[in-house]
Amino acid sequence: MSETTSHQIPGLTQKKVFKIIVLGDSGVGKTCLTYRFCEGQFLDKSEATIGVDFRERTILIRNEEIKLQLWDTAGQERFRKSMVQHYYRNVHAVVIVYDVTKPETFHSIVSWMQEVESHGLTNSPRVLVGNKCDCGTPESRLATTYAQRAADKYGMPLFETSALLDSECDNVESIFMTLAHKLYSKQPLRVVSVEGDQSYGVVTLPRHKSRAAPPPRDSCLCS
Amino acid sequence: MEFNNFDSATDDKSNLNGDCSPPPTKQAFDMNHTKNIDDISTPSELKFDEDFDFEDPEISEKRKEIERCIQNPDSVNLEKWQQFAKSKGGLISDDYRKVVWPLLVGVTQEEMTEPPSLDDLSTHGEYNQVVLDVNRSLKRFPPGIPYEQRVALQDQLTVLILRVIIKHPDLKYYQGYHDVAITLLLVCGDRASFPLLCRLSCGPRAPLQPFMQTTMAPTQHLLNYMLPVIRRADPDVADCLEKAQVGTMFALPWYLTWFGHSLNRYSDVVRLYDYFLCAPPLFPVYVTAAIVLHRGGEVLRCDCDMAMLHCLLSRLPDDLPFEDILVTAEKLYLENDPEVLEPEVAALERREAEVRRLDEERMKRRQAAARNRRNPPARRWPSLLKALSSRRALLATATVLLGVYVYYRPELLFIRHHEDTLGEL
Repeated sequence: MSETTSHQIPGLTQKKVFKIIVLGDSGVGKTCLTYRFCEGQFLDKSEATIGVDFRERTILIRNEEIKLQLWDTAGQERFRKSMVQHYYRNVHAVVIVYDVTKPETFHSIVSWMQEVESHGLTNSPRVLVGNKCDCGTPESRLATTYAQRAADKYGMPLFETSALLDSECDNVESIFMTLAHKLYSKQPLRVVSVEGDQSYGVVTLPRHKSRAAPPPRDSCLCS
Repeated sequence: MEFNNFDSATDDKSNLNGDCSPPPTKQAFDMNHTKNIDDISTPSELKFDEDFDFEDPEISEKRKEIERCIQNPDSVNLEKWQQFAKSKGGLISDDYRKVVWPLLVGVTQEEMTEPPSLDDLSTHGEYNQVVLDVNRSLKRFPPGIPYEQRVALQDQLTVLILRVIIKHPDLKYYQGYHDVAITLLLVCGDRASFPLLCRLSCGPRAPLQPFMQTTMAPTQHLLNYMLPVIRRADPDVADCLEKAQVGTMFALPWYLTWFGHSLNRYSDVVRLYDYFLCAPPLFPVYVTAAIVLHRGGEVLRCDCDMAMLHCLLSRLPDDLPFEDILVTAEKLYLENDPEVLEPEVAALERREAEVRRLDEERMKRRQAAARNRRNPPARRWPSLLKALSSRRALLATATVLLGVYVYYRPELLFIRHHEDTLGEL
């Protein structure tokens, strides 16, 4: 496996975890998108998400296993205020989804961005996803150039995709892989999860081979 | 549990993609999922018939008694109906529920009026959200239902929800309300379910009323009763939940929909509704606590991590023994009255507020650190000073200073040495 595992603290299993929160209006396809990425297929009896749902997938980046945790949130505004707050904790990246056939879901991006900023995630990698590009006619769909302008304004890449079409599967894949690679190269945000010790969320710099991850405070070998 | 149907398709995949439950429990989940697929391929009505051959004699006896009472409703008081609804097996069949549910909440025949047409209601502000959720509620309809019938039922569902929020403009629609409404609609039909849903939604003791306020804060507060109940019954499980900071989100859909959204077996959902319709408003939270306690072993074996625990708990197994769970929940309610729990809930909420405050501070520090990274020397000084303050560092500093001193005043050591050698010569 990867070189970082050889630096492991004995008795503790480490795996890098990237936590990604998926936001967007109700019915834009957040659940189907995360389901497509994690399960590789379309969820055809999708229901409204109540509160927060969780899905996970392990990917390989440069031969290193990375856990992608996707937090799929409810779209209805009332869930955002007091309840979803808790799940912004330690979020590394953000996916904002809109429905290409419903301009109003695109216009909500402004308020979703405000939400992201209020949680101090302005510097975190973000992507904008226009979902359901299989629906409607080319005329009825929101023009890519228009969406691209908004994406440029907020400095995030734009993806147009469909969680439904198998042919678009690669595109869904690239959304999350883009984020994962960004997070991977952005070393300071790499958080190591240590199973069995929740309080241990140490930032590591695994590329500096001479410097292994500092051991957790309560089992420090140097004192 | 919106994707359970598909989980079995991933069973044979060797990787753990999409699966976040720990390996030992995974197998149990998969077995349940297989069972679940069988369940949805057979209409729930048929399931009752299958069970009928092997029916518990106690239930058969109860069935006869309920039938007698339904034939002679004037001679039966509310307590008797409540006793049927709460005791083992509940109201047994939807045929009985259709009659008894309205009686349990005191709905009269006169209140059961003809619903308006959908077109009359489509101008309502929440219309789009309601339609969006209703259109996605396919899983809640009996499997194999003809398309036309399902569409007609979905229209009735939209009308039912809109009628309530139009009649009570202070009540706000929430995602999950449609799960309650559809259960009532499937059992009681469109005429009876309107006054029934009104009773549950409006009024000081109406169980759904706290969910329909402007914000979810009242709901959040009520869900916070869960952890103190768990703590009193099993402190280890409570410690694990609190340490992982899993919160109450995993139970939110359970409470908001009275488990309608989260259980795959229709028979389990209606059984719980039998009980909830005559229980105190907070009772579903005690059922939530009873379920967590029932799964206490799994909780303790699970990694004490928010994501892992949320994932484990939010997915309800299909084989939960609800009769036992209801008995436990009732015992928990009798032993831990909500009023008695109030100080513990307040303490919990204070602790949570403190965690939130620390989180915010940490976030601010992180942002400040990101800013300082562009300006590293300024950041090194405080850390150097901090390093100097430890005793070991002090000793090291003293040694270094002594070395420096000796370097500049070598005569202290070397001249004397020189003199000694001279003397020898």
